[in-house]
Parts: sequence; C-alpha cells; structure tokens
Amino acid sequence: MQLVIIGNSAAGLSALEAFRKRDRTSPVTVITKESTIPYSRVLLPYYLRGKTTFKNLFIRSEDYYSQMGATCITDAVVKLLSEKQTLILENSAPVSYDRLLIATGSSPVKPPIPGLEGKGIHHLWTLADVENLMPCFKKGKSVVVLGSGFVSLQGAWAALSRGLDVTVVELLSRIMPNALDDHGAQILTASMKQSGVDLRINTRTLKVEQTHDGKLKLYFNNGHDLVSDFIIVGTGVRPNIDFLEGTGIEVDNGVVVNHHMKTTLPHVYAAGDVAQVPSTFGGPCVIHALWPTALETGRIAGACMAGENISYEGSLNMNVTQMFGITVASMGKFMDVEGAETWTDKTLSHGQYLKILMKDGVPVGATCAGGSELVSTLGLLRPLIREKISIQGDPAALKKMLAQNMTRYHQAYGKGASCAL
Amino acid sequence: MEKKQHYKSMCRMCNNHCGINVYVENGRVVNITGLKEHRWNHGRLCVKGRLGVDLVNAPDRLKKPLKRVGSQWQEIDLEQAYDEIAEKIKKIQQTWGNRAMGIWKGEAVGFLTQEELARRFAHAIGSPNYFSNDSQCYVGRWIGYALVSGTWAEPDFANAKCTVIWGSNPPYAHPNMTQSILQGRENGGRLIVIDVRLSAMARQADDFIQILPGTDGALALGLARQLIRDDLISHEFIKGYTHGFDAYADHAKAFTPERVEKETGIPAERVVDIARKIGNARPKVCIYAGNGLEHHENGINNVRAIACLDGLLGSLDEEGGNFIPEKIPLRSLTLYDEKPLRHLGPIGADKFPVLYDFRQECHTMSAMDTILTQKPYPLKGMVLTGANPALTNPNSRKVIQALKALDLFVVRELFMTETAELAHYVLPAATYLEHSELHTYPVCQSIGISPEIVTFPECDYDYMFWKKLAHRLGASHYFPWEDENELNQWILKDTGITVETLFDHPEGFKYKSRHFQKYKKEKFNTPSGKFEFVSDYLKGHGYSHVPEYIAPTYMSDPNPEYPYVLVTGARKLFYCHGRNRNFKRCRTAIPHGEIEMHPHDARQLGVDTGDVVTVTSSVGSVDIPVTVVPHSHILPGVTQITHGWKESNVNLITHDDRNDPIDGFPLMKSVEVKIKPKRQEDGE
Amino acid sequence: MRFITMDIKKCVVCRNCEYACSFQHTGDFNRADSNIRVAYHDDIKICLPQTCMHCEDAWCMEICPAAAITKNEETGAVEIDSGRCAGCKMCILACPFGNIHFDKSNLISRKCNLCKGEPQCVAACISGALQYVTAGDSCRNNREIFQRFMATLHTPL
Repeated sequence: MQLVIIGNSAAGLSALEAFRKRDRTSPVTVITKESTIPYSRVLLPYYLRGKTTFKNLFIRSEDYYSQMGATCITDAVVKLLSEKQTLILENSAPVSYDRLLIATGSSPVKPPIPGLEGKGIHHLWTLADVENLMPCFKKGKSVVVLGSGFVSLQGAWAALSRGLDVTVVELLSRIMPNALDDHGAQILTASMKQSGVDLRINTRTLKVEQTHDGKLKLYFNNGHDLVSDFIIVGTGVRPNIDFLEGTGIEVDNGVVVNHHMKTTLPHVYAAGDVAQVPSTFGGPCVIHALWPTALETGRIAGACMAGENISYEGSLNMNVTQMFGITVASMGKFMDVEGAETWTDKTLSHGQYLKILMKDGVPVGATCAGGSELVSTLGLLRPLIREKISIQGDPAALKKMLAQNMTRYHQAYGKGASCAL
Repeated sequence: MEKKQHYKSMCRMCNNHCGINVYVENGRVVNITGLKEHRWNHGRLCVKGRLGVDLVNAPDRLKKPLKRVGSQWQEIDLEQAYDEIAEKIKKIQQTWGNRAMGIWKGEAVGFLTQEELARRFAHAIGSPNYFSNDSQCYVGRWIGYALVSGTWAEPDFANAKCTVIWGSNPPYAHPNMTQSILQGRENGGRLIVIDVRLSAMARQADDFIQILPGTDGALALGLARQLIRDDLISHEFIKGYTHGFDAYADHAKAFTPERVEKETGIPAERVVDIARKIGNARPKVCIYAGNGLEHHENGINNVRAIACLDGLLGSLDEEGGNFIPEKIPLRSLTLYDEKPLRHLGPIGADKFPVLYDFRQECHTMSAMDTILTQKPYPLKGMVLTGANPALTNPNSRKVIQALKALDLFVVRELFMTETAELAHYVLPAATYLEHSELHTYPVCQSIGISPEIVTFPECDYDYMFWKKLAHRLGASHYFPWEDENELNQWILKDTGITVETLFDHPEGFKYKSRHFQKYKKEKFNTPSGKFEFVSDYLKGHGYSHVPEYIAPTYMSDPNPEYPYVLVTGARKLFYCHGRNRNFKRCRTAIPHGEIEMHPHDARQLGVDTGDVVTVTSSVGSVDIPVTVVPHSHILPGVTQITHGWKESNVNLITHDDRNDPIDGFPLMKSVEVKIKPKRQEDGE
Repeated sequence: MRFITMDIKKCVVCRNCEYACSFQHTGDFNRADSNIRVAYHDDIKICLPQTCMHCEDAWCMEICPAAAITKNEETGAVEIDSGRCAGCKMCILACPFGNIHFDKSNLISRKCNLCKGEPQCVAACISGALQYVTAGDSCRNNREIFQRFMATLHTPL
C-alpha cells in the first residue's frame, strides 16, 4: 500500500506520525514544495520578533523522513488524476498512490487594491516570506500592516518590538474579528495604541503607489494617506486546491471531508487548512486554519489511512498569543450569540478579562485578555466544550469541579491508585 | 580547588530537629536537604529547614564582637570583649551581689546542651537568676501535665485510634509531626482538631471543633463529665493508678453540654458526640496540647483538665496514646543539687513558686519590673544568648525600657536583633551548623549529635562562650572541659555510648526500645506516686486542688470598650517565633504581619484586606494590615496576630502583668482589644 | 518509571511544596513561580495539590508548535525545553488541568520537570501527602484511566 502525503506542515506531519504508529512498513511519499526539513509556521512571527532563533523554526530533524521510513519529494503538484490514482508533479515523474492525503494548506490572498504588488509588498505566511521580510525589519523603518487578524497583528507586534513605525489598517470597525469578542478587542486595541501602533479602523485602502525614492504611498478612503517603507498584507488565506480542478472533488470553502477526513474522491483524504472539517458544535463543516485543528485532523487522517476506524470529534477553534504586553486567547463560540448565556469573571482586577459563553449551562466558548493565568482557565474549559458537559451555568465553580472530580477519582480508586496525581 | 563535602546533622530552624544532609563547597554551606534515614522526618524537610543555608551565610550575620560607644557600635577584639564583660560582671557582683546578674537562654543557636550550660553558668557565678522564654512558652503545658502525670508525655500518633490536636498547628509549628499524625489517620485513626482558628491541621480533621479562646478547660471538663456518664472510661487505670478521681468527677459534674456550649461556643450535641468518639477509641487516644492553651489567665488549669482526660481514658503510656518516654542517663550540667541557690530568691519564685519548683525557671515578666523598680532587689546585669525578648516578651515597651536600664547588657546573637540593639556588648554566636552538640528525641527514644560543619573565627559556640567567661570570673572549675567534644563525652559517660557511635548513627541512635504501661511497675513522678486528678501540692500553695475552670475575663466581665478578642502567636510557615524576618526570600513569601479577621468584623469596621487598623488593648496600640480570612477560619469577634514583626509588633499590646496565678504565664491570647481603621487623617 | 503521587487525605495546604518548587528554579520563595499549586476549597473541604501528571499522550506535547515539549525517557517527565519554547502559550491552552504556567521573567512556559528525578515538592512535603513512587503496571493502568477520566471529565457532577 502506497501512501502519499502532499504537504509537510502540521497536518502532514501529524498524519505521517499517526500512520507510522499503526503501519510501520507501507511505503510513504511526502511531497512538499517547501524546505524538506519541516518548520513551524506558528513560530515565524516569533522569529521576526527575535523571540526564537532561525534554527528553532525547524521542528523535525534533518533525517526525519528517513527515520520515519518516508521518501520526500520537493516539488509542486500540478494535477490529480483521481481515476488513475496518480499525481502529476511540476518537475518530477508522476507519483501513484493507494491512499492520498491532501495537506496542502492555504495561501494568503491579496485584496483587490490597485498597486498592491511588486517591491515592498509582503506576506507573513511561509518561511520564504519571513526570509524576505527579515531585511526590512530595521529600526526606524516604517511598515503598514493591512488587516488586523491574528497573524497580521503578530507581524505588527514583531515590527514594533524591533523599533519600526507601525501602522495597522483595518477595513472593519474593530480588530481581530475572527479571534476576539468586542470587549477583548477593545482591551487589545488600547494596548496596541499604548505601545505606539498607529491603528486605523474603518479604513479602506484605495490604492498603493511606488514613490520615486523607493517607498510606498497608500491612499485611504478617509484621505489620511501615508508613506511607508513596506507593507505586510494579512487579509486572509485561501486553501491550495488549484491542482484539484477537474477531479469532481467536492469543494466548498475548502475540500469537504467527513469525520474520517475522507473527501468525496475514493482513497483521498484531506486535513489541515485545506480541509473543511466537521465542527465540534455540529452543523456545517468549517475551515479552521489553525495549528491545533491541523494536528488533530492530520492525526485522524493518518490513523484512518492506516485502516483504523476513528472519527474526528470536530474542530474546536482556539487561539492564543501574547502581544503588545497582554495575552489574548479565545476558544469556540466567543462572540455573543443568540440564546447563549454570558458570564464574565467579576473578581478579576482591572485590565483582566474573562468571558465564558454557555448554552443550557454547557460552555460553548470563551475569550480572555490580560494575564496568562486566564489562558489556563480556557484550558480547563476545552474538554467541557468538547464533551458538552454542563457546569450548571456557573463557571466560577470550574476549578472546584475539577477538584471534586479528582477527589472522586481518589475515592473510587483508593490509595492504591493514588499514583494518579 | 573545589571540594565538596557532605555532612549529616540535625536541623535547628525550629524545635523539630529533623535529620538533615548538609552540603559544603569551598568551606561554604551550599545546600541542606532532609536526611532520608532519620527516625523523625524520614527525609522530609520543610522550607524553613532549607533556610539554614540562608542563616549560616546571611550577609547581615554578626561576625565581629561589638561594643557600644555612645550611640555607635565599635568593633572590639573578642578576648578583650570577654575581659571587659567579665570586669563589669565582677563590678556588679561586688556592688550589688551575685544575684544582680541574670542569665537568659534563647533557643536560636543550639540543641539539648545549651539550656543546661546557661543554667550551669548562672549558678557557677552565684546567681539563681536563670531566665528563658520558657516562662512564657511550653513550660505552662509541661507543668500542667507534670502536675497530673509527673511528666510530659509524647503522643504516639502513628498508632492512635483517635488523635486530638488541641490548640496546636503542627504543619507550621512542628512540621514533621504532621507526618505521624496523618499516618495515624491513614491507619484508621480519627483526627479531631480543637482550635480557635481553622488551622492547616484542621483542614484534614475528621472533626474540627472551633472554640472560643481560653475556654478549653470548660470543654475538657465537659468531655470528662460525658465520658464518665457514658462509662467510656478506664476503670482499671482509675482504680489502680490515680488519685482524687471522685473530687475531680464531682467537679466535672457541673459541666453539662449546655454549660460547655455557653462557655466555649461549641454546640452541646457536638460536645457529647466528640466525647463518645474519643471514649470509644480508648485507650488508643492521643491528646496533644499545644501552645494555644497557654497565655491565658487560667492556662495551667485548662491544661490540667485536658491532661486528666488521659487518666480517664487510660491512654497514658499506652501504645497509640500519650507515651511516657524513658530517659537516657545523660549527666546533668545543672548545679541545682550541687549548689542550690533558692535561698537567694530567684526572681518570680516568690510569686510563682510552682514555676520554680517544677522548672527552676525565673519569671522574665517579673524580671522587667525588678530591673525597673530594684524590687525585691536590684537586677543590674544580663547576659542573653540567642533570644529576642524585645519582640517576643509581652509588653515590649516595658521590656525595652527595662533592658535599656541595665548596667550591663550582653547579647550573644547571630543577628543584630531588636534586643541586641539595646545591648552594651554584642558578641557573634555560632549557628547549629558550627558546633557539635547532643540532642535527644524522646518520642523515638533516640539520641543524635551534630557535627561542626563550618566555623567563623570569632563566632564562639555556647560552651566556649560560657567557659571563657567563667574562667575570667573565677568559676573555671565548673567548666573544665577543653572543648565541646570533651564535654559531650562527659555528658555521655554514664550511658555507655560514645560520641563516635553517635556520629555513626545520623538517623538517631536508639538508646532503648519502647515499653508501655510502665506505671504498673514504677510510680508516677508525682507527690502521691499516682496519676493526680487533684493536686494536694497545689492546694498546699493555696490553689484549687481540682483543675478548676475560670472563664477568661472577656467572657466573664466583658468590657464594652474592648469588644474584640485577640489571639496572638499563631505560627506561620517561614517564621519560628521572632526569627527569619531578615531573610529576603521569606519576605517575598510573607512580607509583613497581619491581623486575621472574620469577614463580618471586617465589614463592620469597614475595612478590607490590606487596610491598616490600629489595635489597642489596655497596654498599648499597634498598627497592622488586615487580612480578611474566610468565614470558617475564625469566629466573628476573634482576631489573630502572629508575633515577631518589628514593624507591627503585637507584643506592644499583650499583658505582662496579667498572669496565670499558678505558673505566671502572661495573658497573650484572649487579649481584649478595640480595633479602629487607621484613616489617612489619623496618620502623619 | 516513577510518579509523584498524592494522598488527598493528607494534604494540609501548608504550601511547603509550592515554595520548595519556586526555590528550586528561581532561588526565591514566590508561590506565583511554583509549578505545583495547592488548591484549597474551603466550602467543600478539598485540599488538592496539582502539578503536571506527565500524561502518556500529553496534549501539550502534541500541540507545541515549537517542538519544545518532549518526554524525558529517563525520568518519564514531560519537559519544556526552555531554549526552544517561544512563549506562544499554546500548551497552557491545551492542558486540561491548568498545570502549565507562564514564566513572566523569561516569557516562556514552564511546568514540572520532576527536578531531574528528585522532586523538591515531595522532599518538602511534611504531611506525607506527596510521594515519589515507582509505579507498577497496574498503577500505570490507573493513571491512564484517570487521565482519560480527567481529560474528558466524563462524569459530570
């Protein structure tokens, strides 16, 4: 049985490792258009900021693939011939498969703004992007970050930490629409401004022009135009699915998969950013272009491709980062939704924010801003959200509940089982 | 060249004396860990024990003898300091008589021998005035038990079917005692904690009995009444080995559960319930009485009432009960037989003869009055080692005034304490890691020795200090041993054990296996030779012969001006009495003193945690930050302040002159106070 | 394999373990720097020391995007490599027990590492609640049951 995995980031790696746990002999080929040593996308902004080293970006060893008993091909996949179970590559010979995992990830999209191309226009998504950006990150330079999502703001924070003048431009009326609720966004906004970011919300970029001295001039709808040394575009990503054209595979926003990560094509699986996967809350499938979801879906795909019949419990979106001096995190349904009860921790000191949303006493999501201790509360919530366990609408009792459960365990298993701390 | 050494010794950061490993690098103590094989702590060591590293290496440690010149300290040669001190002592002796000198033993520096050495020195130079903190701590309980059973028994927690921790918080006060208490519970024993506060120990109690301060005697008598009524008593023990049961039982009769409820605040049905739980576990009942029982106007009798329960239950000298340890025949260093000086009127012995009879302790509270009034005779000089009465004795203002009034005040210390600051001479002392001393563990019936691990040139150890002074004062024949090694050998001579043997047994050399019910062969160490429910001795001194209950003043005669009751002296994790406040690490953890307060009281006073209040008793006032504790931790109206904080010294408001009439212990718990929020305009 | 075990009928919340842990890796006695935290629930009378359980399939280890969390084969400890950790806090978000903490001076995550096989919290535990024991197979089995139980909190109250 020949397994082929396209992609060597979180989903691909996780799939390979899960597969190898169950099947030590079948040949595996990994196709990647990037570096053969896997690196961590999550760390890229940290590297830009100087918080981690270039070496640390690489999260597997050089001989990783040989250790895993896998062949790695560095090439781009041009076409999938699903009837022939074969992949056409750009520069190499076609590769056949018995099982295929599409873990091709996603790529940043550029908004339709005239002039937003050429010199000085960057993304912050791949290692190559960061290698291009690094020389620009010099004290005294100026940067405009278009978009205020998770990655964009991390880029802005890295630039600010390095002594650059930073402007963040957001089309909407608030930052981080996909990762924070309104109040959390307000807190982060205040921190950003206090840190010295020129934040411009409700601002549409009309066009970009190269100036005669090699800079970029941005024109905005409100007339407050500005000139900058370079631009980071962070206005969203789209799945890498061009090579699937003509295969008839079901694609919605991404490649649609079931609970076993199977696509609508026989023997073809998908995981990670490219896949539109079941949500932990049921309902329509979702794309969560997030590291944890990529790991989980990869693991499920890997196990299923090895013949194990396991199902995904559904993706639960979760985000955490520290920037501009505060920690922000969110999980599940954190925006105020209809029919949900909202609980905020009133015991917290000023500048600390924790909100938990519940439906019928069951937590469905949470968001926090402030200290890192709050993040661990979200950690406690994760199994509850996933397992739909009622906390009877009283998140204040969360830690007590944990303690009671532990106590119950100790009572159930007695001293002999006390090794379970 | 780097040298690493490993020593095995005993900890002296509190009174538990746990076995320790001491690691030395380049002549410096670098780490201290628990000694796995030690009989007492089995390798566990609290963070206080580890602080020994901080103690020995402390940058603020006294390393040079200091002499006060005007308001300044001047370094002085050690031998010259001894010469000058000796001259001044001689002058006091010549002018005012030998008894004008006092010797005060603290506990900060040594183990077993330090006390007897200080006592020896006092008598060697002809003074009966030996003082220590014991006249206000521990000895009250000791005498209470000794009056009843002739000794201080050691609880055999690990084998108890019911343990009662009464007014003590072992996790902080005697850390590794906690292990054996909980071992007993693991073995199926019940744990009852009786305390004013929901202490750390109380958190694991099967029954926690929250009692009003100073009312313990009423509860003990109520328990006795119930035990007798329910016939949950040991007839064999009472019949064969006790004295005065009928009078005692008769006295207890009045303490109905309803009366007990009124006196102690404990619901009547709980009194009955607890009595039955204790009675049904007899004789394997361990009742441990803590420091919380002392420092009351009726402390001794409260302790006696508790001690009597051992007789009712027949739990004394039982396995799993209060075990009477057998002594090892160490030679005594005291000179009470050789050179008795009672006729010279030891301070306090007239007022509190029981204290002197039982412990040969002079009364430190009376000493302050004596210094200030010269009555009954002048007390002009004091040599004090390793104690800090300016912070730990009641009525600090008076203590400071008195110590300042001395003609000669010599303090031998590790640090420049609040007391040392008042001295004429301050001599640097050696820590427990810097000299070799014996120590016994009665409960394990074992004995250990500490090695000299590091030394500092001018920091003399106890024996050397007393010897050098004695030699200058014509008392050299009492201090003939060359050094402490010779001294240790002499002390051990009659035991057949050598110093070398002890060094070979860092786990504690077991000198005898334990035997129970020894009273069947030997008499109790009491006047009647029996377990004394009533004391004819006390009666002879004009006290009640039964352990009578007298309610604390705040109950019997409440003063509306002072509506709150203040308990002092609860132990905190890092601090042993007045010590360790100078260690930065400890201050990180527990930075300052606090008054523990019930939320209800805090609300009434309009204060919250961190707000400063002024606490006032009839003695004085102290400003201190509030800590509002959870509802269950303390009763409304009751507050607690731990002593030992110079910034907020609670002993500024404790009573030195309201004493237990029997042993003279001062009123430091159940102090009536008023509390006022300290507002901005009140301050500077 | 050795594990830290605890007996909830012994913990008295004296906090020696917390301070010993803090001292071990910071040299100071600061509870906030401790990797073991003792929860005390006054109303339900529960004393519960909580520290990393060194899960067999540790969620923190799987999720770490810096590959900074590994299992020490010798001690069985799930350890954070401080040289690799970038401080993203993903592990804190992943731990269902709240046993990973943030080192505010170095801005990285930190957790129990069993002190290279000599856990200081156990050495300082004067109640005997914490033990460092060699675990047999049945114990390991219990551990797995427990971890599953806790990770999903399958028996809601």
